[in-house]
Amino acid sequence: MIQQRRNAFVHKLFMPYLAYRLRRAFNVLKHDEVEIMPGHSILLLCNHFSWWDGFWAGQLAHTYLHRNFYIMMQEDHIKKRMFFNFLGGFSINRESKEVVKSLQYAADLLGDPKNLVTVFPQGELVSNHAEEVNIERGVDYIVKKIKGDCQIIYYSAFIEYFESLKPSIYFHFLNCGTNHDFDFEKVKALINSHHKKAIKEQINAAH
Amino acid sequence: MVRNKRNFFIRWVLHAYVLCTIKRHLHEINFHKIETDPDKSILLLANHFSYWDSLILYIVTRKLFKRKYHVMVREDTTVKLHYLKYAGAFSVNKKSRDMLQSLDYAAELLQSQQNLVLIFPQGKLYSNFVSDINFEKGATKVMAKAEGKFQLIFAATFIQYMRHKKPTVTVYLENAASATKTQDELKNAYQQFYEKAKAEQTEIII
Repeated sequence: MIQQRRNAFVHKLFMPYLAYRLRRAFNVLKHDEVEIMPGHSILLLCNHFSWWDGFWAGQLAHTYLHRNFYIMMQEDHIKKRMFFNFLGGFSINRESKEVVKSLQYAADLLGDPKNLVTVFPQGELVSNHAEEVNIERGVDYIVKKIKGDCQIIYYSAFIEYFESLKPSIYFHFLNCGTNHDFDFEKVKALINSHHKKAIKEQINAAH
Repeated sequence: MVRNKRNFFIRWVLHAYVLCTIKRHLHEINFHKIETDPDKSILLLANHFSYWDSLILYIVTRKLFKRKYHVMVREDTTVKLHYLKYAGAFSVNKKSRDMLQSLDYAAELLQSQQNLVLIFPQGKLYSNFVSDINFEKGATKVMAKAEGKFQLIFAATFIQYMRHKKPTVTVYLENAASATKTQDELKNAYQQFYEKAKAEQTEIII
């Protein structure tokens, strides 16, 4: 397992560059409001459908959720891009025995209320049009192992073009409660119904 | 009503612009290769969710259909982007009496086998996530006026990122029976085709 080596200096240099890249590639990043609980770390779950997902999560963690960003990445991916290691990336390999170690590592990071860990619960790239969000059991394991207060937030992101050449991203946030009242099946159902509602809202989005 | 005009130079500039923009913004464009009848013109009906649609279908026309590209565009857009008329755009205004003139013009274009007319039956930009396609009446009227002269083709475009930095475009194409008559029949036929294409896009897992 590859552990994170988050470096505040690298992070400080990277964020303006990321903002620049996002500005160049996208028209707007629009998100709705969600209640952010003070004194809680955040477990951020998102739908995974593109190369950019991690960057959007990083940008939102920096500008909106105000926590130190960490992200769970597939081991073969992070090995090719070890630079992300300095920005909070740590590895998970679903086929290896170390998977539990990675999950425990995520839970340990969430012990600190200053941190945010991004997990793609689907575990693979899925079409943006998909109506079902599959949540892997790993999420349950992470939440059960957290010592301290942690808030679980989910967002559905959607790509739209409309009048612009550049795409816009719409984030639909959902507050899934804290680790103390966490019930895996309930949260899974909640996320799926939220995702379906978000698609309906998206169809009527103003442009 | 604004009709399309021919100007070799402007057309060449716009062609170069489209190629450059696509190369800059898109990873690749995939489309199904379908058979077309060389003795007939083509009426292409497509979904409309972005500014890209007409550019992408322009490329598909060049590569696959090999006809002269014409597209029905809202009048306010042709006024704002006045150079579009040199790229095959002609206007339509739902609120004016000119509309009949536009539909006649589209039917007239379909008389020649060298032409392709692209119409977005949704009438305006909709989200990429719609499941029910809004279908305006114009397309049926054009079809009735140019009956027998054209081949009807359905197109549905989807843009997805997946593992690439730039998005990949998939255009689904299908030969439709041009004998389809009423508004409802046409709408249902397109809806069925669109749902099948969307289901295929939805199933992608990498």
